[in-house]
Amino acid sequence: MDTDGKADAGLLERSRRIKTAAELGLARSSRGRHWSRALLLRRRLLISKEETTTTTRAAVEVEKLGVEDEPEEKMLQARVRTLQRLVPGGEEIMEAERLFEETADYIEALQEQVSAMRALACLLHGFQRTRGGS
Amino acid sequence: MLRGQLQCLSPRFLLFCSFPSSAASFSILILILLLLRRRRRRRLSELKNIAFSPFACFSRRFFVSGMEKERFFGGGWKSAHAGLLPEVSAFAGDEHLPHSFVGFGWEQPVHGQEAHAQQLESALSSLVSSPSSNAPDGNDSVVIRELIGRLGSICNSGNVSPSSRCHSAHASYYSTPLSSPPKLNLAGADHQRQRMLVNQVAAAPFLADQGFAERAARFSCFGAAEAGQLSRVSSRQSLAKEVAASYAMMAGSSSSPEASSASEKLTAVVAEHNARKRKAAPKGKGKAAAPSSSSAMDPPEEENSDSKRCKAAEAGGADKDAPVKPKTEQNSSDDGNAKPPEPPKDYIHVRARRGQATDSHSLAERVRREKISERMKLLQDLVPGCNKVTGKAVMLDEIINYVQSLQRQVEFLSMKLATLDPQLEFDTETLLSKEMHQVHVPLPQQVLFPLDMATSAFSLAQLPLKLAENPPDSMFSSLQLPPIDHLANLWEDDLRYVVQTGFPQSQEAPFSSGALRAE
Repeated sequence: MDTDGKADAGLLERSRRIKTAAELGLARSSRGRHWSRALLLRRRLLISKEETTTTTRAAVEVEKLGVEDEPEEKMLQARVRTLQRLVPGGEEIMEAERLFEETADYIEALQEQVSAMRALACLLHGFQRTRGGS
Repeated sequence: MLRGQLQCLSPRFLLFCSFPSSAASFSILILILLLLRRRRRRRLSELKNIAFSPFACFSRRFFVSGMEKERFFGGGWKSAHAGLLPEVSAFAGDEHLPHSFVGFGWEQPVHGQEAHAQQLESALSSLVSSPSSNAPDGNDSVVIRELIGRLGSICNSGNVSPSSRCHSAHASYYSTPLSSPPKLNLAGADHQRQRMLVNQVAAAPFLADQGFAERAARFSCFGAAEAGQLSRVSSRQSLAKEVAASYAMMAGSSSSPEASSASEKLTAVVAEHNARKRKAAPKGKGKAAAPSSSSAMDPPEEENSDSKRCKAAEAGGADKDAPVKPKTEQNSSDDGNAKPPEPPKDYIHVRARRGQATDSHSLAERVRREKISERMKLLQDLVPGCNKVTGKAVMLDEIINYVQSLQRQVEFLSMKLATLDPQLEFDTETLLSKEMHQVHVPLPQQVLFPLDMATSAFSLAQLPLKLAENPPDSMFSSLQLPPIDHLANLWEDDLRYVVQTGFPQSQEAPFSSGALRAE
């Protein structure tokens, strides 16, 4: 790929747009779900999405909460908080069971999205190969 | 015209005619005949009247409208008859009964609608009268169950036919649930609802027969659910109400209040079907609900738990084994006419365990914990490799990791897509505005990549390797994506965003755009 330096910014921008479109499609694909509504709202208001960090947030959360009595409970709470942050619109969900429901649905939708994007990438890659060969 | 419809309907009724499917749909006459057996001849005349009047209206209304279906059964599927008859006779010892009935039911319709209706009634009479004369109980009931279900399927199809065109979607709908009626893994939350309706319809006199009850519910639900889902026409609801009313009639005059409430619930569920969008992923896990509930419970308590379960299924789409409070917040948008009118909605029937406190707080706490653990089990199934770990904290860790990895994958793949095809452009403002204005007209100028993931997942996931070898020209023709049709019915608006040929200049662009246009 030539002009990598110049195209990098454009690439990033385009990839972000692709991702946005993917998210929109994802959100629209399962309506009536809290996380999908939150995702759409987020897009609409152009809130910059939190980048998922590589470090596990649970550790961060535990530090925030401090070591109090019942460390096990705190660990659980920390993890629940982390999950709340991961699932779009999760912070508004108070009860654990609803959060888990939304998480399950979100996971399913994400799986579908990943497989679709992967298939699409494979398809386009195949095109490139045939085109490059001719 | 009818022949064309016959052609269209053929794949669907192929599935209908397959034996296991017919086994599932013989509930109407089951009701009659079980009553017969249980109450001997005391109610025979009564039942005949009851049975025949709803069947009369069934036949008049539905057979007239669904005429092509009977013709289909009779004419187009003679080979299936040959297959069916030996199957049916093999299924039970009594050979005269099924043959006569099938003969009546399936060969006659070719001749005329009214004749068919009358044939049906005469067949009914023969059926009704013969069990009283025949001694054996078990074989007959099974056979008759099959036949009844087939009749019921006629009524069902009569239900569906008036305003439904021949969608290939029907085939998929029917095939998924009907192909496995003996197992309880039917697709979607309909299964849950079917079990509700099982319990409701079969509440009063038929509690003893669980398998029959399941089939009854399946049949009724298929009729109602199919009717509700496949074409959201208001006439559908009226038809469903009629079906429900006739169910109420047939369920027995003695249990009229329960039957009427059951029919109300049926109607409500049908309406709810109309309102909801159905998820494609099967979630039929709550099998335990049906056996436990259909075994002899008191009808009112059963209806309580059923209504709760019904609402739970409607609300969450997830399976709950324990009765739960209705979750209204999730369905705030769908809830218009969905809730069945049940007074004791909000009670949770929980049994206190031995050695545990029985005050309300701890009970509620326990229910809450059970619900949470149930959700965790669900998540455990979703997240791969989570079966071995135990304990909430570790599981939560795994779930978090999995969600993070999925999100990272999405990012990575979007980057990869951006590199792969430089012409892929995404007009997110347009997409957003579309979202806001709910416009369904595809925009001509801009290039839209809808990337409706959930739908394209099904289509594209099967194609990548195959299409990689084809030259791009033949790609268009080979991109026949049959599942798209019924997927389009499911996610109605999303597939309206068609990719427009917005790449005027480049050569490679038409490939991707055409590929996506084919969707």
